[in-house]
Amino acid sequence: MKKLRLAYVRFTSCCGCQLTLLNCEEQLAAIDAVAEVVAFDMASSRPDDGGPLDAVLVEGSISRPEELVELLRLRRRAEILVAVGACALTGGVNVLAHGDRIELCEGVYGECAREKLTFPPQPLCRFVRVDLQVAGCPPERSEHLQLLGALARGGLPALPEYAVCMECRQRENLCLLLEAKQPCLGPVTRAGCNALCPSFGAICEGCRGPVTEANRAEESRLLLGLGLSEREVRARLERFSGASHEDP
Amino acid sequence: MKTLSLQPLTRVEGHGRVEMTVQTGRLTAVRLVITESPRLFEALLLGRSWQEVPALVSRICAICSGVHRVAAASALESALGIDIPPLARRVRELLLLGGHIESHALHLFCLTLPDIAGTESILELLRACDPRAREGLALKGLGNHIQELAGGRVIHPVNVEVGGVVRLPPREKLEALLAELEEWSGRLPPLVEGFADRRGYPPATPALGTRIAVDCDDFLLTGRSLRFSDGRVVAGERYGEVLEERAVPWSNTKHSRTAGVPLLAGALARLENAAGRALAPVLPEPSAAGIHGNNLAQGLELIWALREARRLVRELLAGDADAAVMVAVRAGAGVGTCVIEAPRGLLIHHYALDDQGRVAAADILTPTAINQAAIEAQLLADLQGVTDESVLIERAGRIVRAYDPCISCSVHVLKG
Repeated sequence: MKKLRLAYVRFTSCCGCQLTLLNCEEQLAAIDAVAEVVAFDMASSRPDDGGPLDAVLVEGSISRPEELVELLRLRRRAEILVAVGACALTGGVNVLAHGDRIELCEGVYGECAREKLTFPPQPLCRFVRVDLQVAGCPPERSEHLQLLGALARGGLPALPEYAVCMECRQRENLCLLLEAKQPCLGPVTRAGCNALCPSFGAICEGCRGPVTEANRAEESRLLLGLGLSEREVRARLERFSGASHEDP
Repeated sequence: MKTLSLQPLTRVEGHGRVEMTVQTGRLTAVRLVITESPRLFEALLLGRSWQEVPALVSRICAICSGVHRVAAASALESALGIDIPPLARRVRELLLLGGHIESHALHLFCLTLPDIAGTESILELLRACDPRAREGLALKGLGNHIQELAGGRVIHPVNVEVGGVVRLPPREKLEALLAELEEWSGRLPPLVEGFADRRGYPPATPALGTRIAVDCDDFLLTGRSLRFSDGRVVAGERYGEVLEERAVPWSNTKHSRTAGVPLLAGALARLENAAGRALAPVLPEPSAAGIHGNNLAQGLELIWALREARRLVRELLAGDADAAVMVAVRAGAGVGTCVIEAPRGLLIHHYALDDQGRVAAADILTPTAINQAAIEAQLLADLQGVTDESVLIERAGRIVRAYDPCISCSVHVLKG
């Protein structure tokens, strides 16, 4: 089998998606056997040869002109571009800072702010065609391995289109929302993590983003019923939905 | 005049470059240019409920997500006047140690070992069946296993909330972890020994900067005060009076100084400041490898961290499995600070809450921001006599890497 020419690139984010690949400690050698890692700055000093790529994994949102230039360059080089993680898909928590960006930056850097050319973080799909979206903040190790396995065989993995609740029910967990009366976002969040947090006993915070046709109205009603204020309900529902982009 | 640029920085977390000015063949100035984009966490937290803060700030950085979450919860508990149950405290300490083990193993074996072995990445070491790479990864996996058990999740853990922790790790999993930790006690010392070998590092001048670390009677990651190597001990909440932060035009990370002098945070600073304290690992010849001695300091901390983790797991096993691990929280106004040791050095979280428990002010100081001025000074000191351009570039990368920088942390950017 020909080795997959692969790059893993990161823009504005926390590095959690790339770290998740490095957290596949026992599988790194196997990954190396099927993929030629052309660029992965966090883990390798190999200079990028600039050649064509079979696939590029992109973590992070776009918030600097240089990042946009690099994203467009990667799109031209790569057969398949995969957006990995909340920041790449929706902007992630980076979009939650409301207000005028120049004023916000001046509040931090004072006079130096003008030297720093940045703009509000944007998801990748604003600028390029995205062939696959792998959700999660960050996506799990198993999802990285499934993705690389599928890419190495010339395909793309199938991703679940149902809610975290489906996986949670399969694991026969106590329902944190209805039975434990906690503000769990499982019903409106897309699956794929095998209900990791609710299975541990912690509420789903919605880090994989909204599931298709999420019933937000019913979820809001349930959360309000638990005593959360409208403001808190809105804040929880928008944390990983990129909401501030859609409803400015 | 000529400017050499090391770009991109590799085998570090985050985006940046080193710019070196060479005049008549001699290095005259160095800048560490952090290009990572600001994510404005301060603006993002303002007006939000105290309940939202721990989950949000863990997203500042993946490698440090556990310690950010614990720091935020502790600072908010201090603001709200809350004491958490002792068992909850132990679970948090275990999470911190897991993060320490994972982060140090990542830095030493995935990021630094390729330099010592003269390769580009750990992938080549694995291909060559280097036993250090295999063992290092297993150790990193142990750190992640601990984080998963104590935090519920490897990255952005969910077990820590204001008031305590969601649950105790299950007994049978703790017992299995204890066996795993015991099995490591003989394996670890020979593994970190390699980082003591002076020949693995380039020539170096002594590490610069006033050492800063959390002060405590033993050697622990948490405390209430800050200790400086110039002898000062300052209460944590007074950090603003002793750490001078300023923005510089060339970097998206602010520079910190104390009394006009760059600061050094991290494993080397911790061990030097704690010399003579109970439990503190002892550094041999502190200055021999200069800043590269930080690698050995991390190695010694790994031995310490595994020993501490064994103690904590035993204490958790001896505790009452039905004891409360979370206390009720009454929202209200208050101001709280937490000073804590992240794997790569001192981390400070500070919050003010309004009378409804919403964030009115937030301030976070991260180790890489604290170290930035020292990194520039060290690059200049270590490389001044070097004339070969390729050597300058190679060594600059190794010096920056020795600090184990975490660049997305450093550009979290909250108002100073």
